[in-house]
Amino acid sequence: MSVYKNNYRAYTGPVTPLWMRIYVLARYGFAEAWSSKITVALFTLSLLPFIIFLIIIYLANNPIAQLLVFKNSSRSLTVDAGFFLGTLQTQSWIALVLTAWVAPRLISFDLADNALPILLSHPISRVGYVFGKFMAMFTSLSAVTWVPCLLLFVYQCYSSAQPWAMANLSIAVGLFVGAVIWIAFLSILGLALSSWVKWRVVATGIIFAAVFVPAGVGGIVSAVLRTQWGLLLNFPVSMSVLWQRLLGAPEFMRSASSLPTPAIVTVLVLASLLCVAMLNARIRAR
Amino acid sequence: MGVIDLDRLEVRLGARTVLDGLTGELQGNAIGLLGPNGAGKSTLINTLLGFHPPSKGSARVFGLDAHRDRARIRGAIGYMPENDSFIGNMTGVRFVRYMAELAGLPSGAALERAHEALFYVGLGEVRYRKVNSYSLGMKQLIKLAQALAHGPRLLILDEPTNGLDPIARLRMIELIKEIRKEGSVRLLISSHLLRDIDETCDEVLILKNGRIAALCNIEAERRSNRSFMELETVGATEKFSVSIRGLGCECACFPGGRIKLVIPDHIEVRDLYVIASEQGVQIRRMNQRRDSLEDIFLRAMDSPMDREAGRSAHVSL
Amino acid sequence: MTQANYRILFENVSKFYGEVLGVNRITLSIPPGITTLVGPNGSGKTTLMNLMTGLVQPSSGNISVMGLTAGDATEFFRNVGYCTQFDTFPRGLTGWQFLLDSLMLHGMSKTDAYRLTFEAIERVHLGDAAFRKIAGYSKGMRQKIRLAQSIAHHPRVLVLDEPLNGLDPMARAESIALFEELGRQGMHLVISSHILDEVDRISDRVVLITGGYLIAQGNIHQVRQEVRDKPMQVLIRCDRPELLASRMFAVNHCVEARVHSDGKGIFLRTGDIDQFYSMLNGIAAEGLIKIDAVAPADDDANAIYQYLIGSDGSAS
Repeated sequence: MSVYKNNYRAYTGPVTPLWMRIYVLARYGFAEAWSSKITVALFTLSLLPFIIFLIIIYLANNPIAQLLVFKNSSRSLTVDAGFFLGTLQTQSWIALVLTAWVAPRLISFDLADNALPILLSHPISRVGYVFGKFMAMFTSLSAVTWVPCLLLFVYQCYSSAQPWAMANLSIAVGLFVGAVIWIAFLSILGLALSSWVKWRVVATGIIFAAVFVPAGVGGIVSAVLRTQWGLLLNFPVSMSVLWQRLLGAPEFMRSASSLPTPAIVTVLVLASLLCVAMLNARIRAR
Repeated sequence: MGVIDLDRLEVRLGARTVLDGLTGELQGNAIGLLGPNGAGKSTLINTLLGFHPPSKGSARVFGLDAHRDRARIRGAIGYMPENDSFIGNMTGVRFVRYMAELAGLPSGAALERAHEALFYVGLGEVRYRKVNSYSLGMKQLIKLAQALAHGPRLLILDEPTNGLDPIARLRMIELIKEIRKEGSVRLLISSHLLRDIDETCDEVLILKNGRIAALCNIEAERRSNRSFMELETVGATEKFSVSIRGLGCECACFPGGRIKLVIPDHIEVRDLYVIASEQGVQIRRMNQRRDSLEDIFLRAMDSPMDREAGRSAHVSL
Repeated sequence: MTQANYRILFENVSKFYGEVLGVNRITLSIPPGITTLVGPNGSGKTTLMNLMTGLVQPSSGNISVMGLTAGDATEFFRNVGYCTQFDTFPRGLTGWQFLLDSLMLHGMSKTDAYRLTFEAIERVHLGDAAFRKIAGYSKGMRQKIRLAQSIAHHPRVLVLDEPLNGLDPMARAESIALFEELGRQGMHLVISSHILDEVDRISDRVVLITGGYLIAQGNIHQVRQEVRDKPMQVLIRCDRPELLASRMFAVNHCVEARVHSDGKGIFLRTGDIDQFYSMLNGIAAEGLIKIDAVAPADDDANAIYQYLIGSDGSAS
């Protein structure tokens, strides 16, 4: 036979297991998010503080170098829980910026042209869809939060003259847990807000607003009611308090220190549930 | 076990009962889904895809429960929705490959099948462009390609020729007929164009007000009524009709040389031609009246339910 | 001249959007009744309709609709109704409000507007849905409200861009009946459609356009006859197609014979259709061949489209 007819033919090959589809979704989402030059630029920018922190750790463990840099040794650099609190805070701000850019890319492309009916007609449930996007976001944010922080920790362990690691293992755990809480929250928040609005630019703005506006509201509440409870709405502050307690760092803000941990956690959980409700309303096949 | 089995299926959306007690077994190779707007066609399709749980009764696709086994069913279904539905930011190939992978194909096989499907539907170089730059016809084709790429067992097409120009429409109908001929895929086609359903489907399900108005095999229903005939003549039509009345046929003349007649059993077509020959009349068109899909549809619409509502579905065809 | 008052006239009209061609050198004369506009997507149909309804002005050439030009704006728009294919509406309105507002724009009194609104809703069989918000309408209902808007002010010219899109078979038939009635009343209807067998049913006059150029205008059968390089084709269903073909070739100017894929019919092309039928009479009268059905195979809009526009006309 020399003439080949290319007709439709059925598929008879292997089929991947159902759980793998979520991974496919996460993989494609991740690729879409990172295909943008801005994402790469933001990530590169996030390395800047990382390098600065590396230098600080180096200087902290090398008194000679420290003398060379700081002529007067009245300031002594110590790498302790407080220092790592600072790194976590810095990286977490970067995570916020990254979320504001990446989360809309994950969701809005699907919503813009009504791809959900086709997407959900495949063997992926709504929960699976959201979870896949969540994993893509979470992975992206991990690369700028606990991964660099733990790398700094490792570097500190390596370059410290005294045996430092064992005594301060709790810092590592605290870094990891603290970062995970924040990026999990950011991920679900970013996805929910992106699903709610039509344009990516607006979604980016709203994600920033969602962090700052409650802070403002909380400030007003605190001032009017003369209480500290308004700070619960101030995510940067409440998260910092949470991290401080996880890392065992010294108090940095007396007013905030009266916030009990369960309250902070409750606020985060409630906000996340609200986000889940938003996603439930928007991620539909019809 | 048919392709789709409905057993007293009831689906409620909010307070409304959209599908009300649907029962039937659909077995055809290509099943047409017809009905007025609001009859429940989209809801039925969404139920088969597992998007709506039934409030009563059940729907089964290839023997699997449409709600409980929806993950398995979705892997075996290709869905081409009516409205625009795509990821604009991706290229055509990437989009189809993504959908194929979600349907369960390994990555390499998905790429191969994506290209195959795109070739089959006729999207050439265009497949490397982003989908949001496509024309309407191409968007319809890419929806079809993504539905086919993973080799589904059931293809659900919702208004596949929507907005297509005549040539593209012909091509789409040809594709559908070829897919049906290949044999491994069953089709469920929902359309408002009776002609499209007539050409492609062998079984038809007509919904009305959430209930089944008709479920029948088109071929079986097309009863050929040999004795009813319609002619279009040129020449001395009056004289011609007088002569055939003389033979024993009842006939009625209409302007433009059209004649409708009833031929008794002892008369043949040949006899008509003999008379036409003698009188120099040309018979330019001749066909025997058969029940067409339009007749089936109108009968289904003009049911007791309708007469109660006082609305007559008379239509000038 | 007075005849111009009863026609839609295009004289050498061209429309360019910057460098992009809309339509080029179109000359049309459309009489009362229904004329269908046929062509691939992107061929210039919408441009033509926009020109006809005064929404855009031509880059060159003259347009006169019933003797009016877009310069006499009030008169012009009062006499023209346009049902577009675009599916967007002002937000937050109900169907009824939308119709009423459109009518009030023509400057009529509120009483008149109310009356015409109800009448239009009645005519398109929209019913109670007219009092719901348009945002909640199905596709078919949106089509109906657009149609209602275009006929409400009783224009003399009605331009409809794919008016049957999204309508179920009964609504299609109702709309076609409405168009036929309006055509009989002497209105000019210009309807664009892709569904060619409906085009055959709706009207006899057709305008074919592709790539911005006018390909044909006039009665479908006359246009068909002018396509001389494709002789007329007839399908004859019979029990012995090959025998019929050989007999026909012997007595008539048959140029092509093709057996139907189911083997029970034959497509014959002939240069002389009159003689063909006369010969067919004789052959059928002989009785050797039993004829089941006879029908022209390509004397319709579909055939004209295939022959004149074909697959290279479709914009992809």
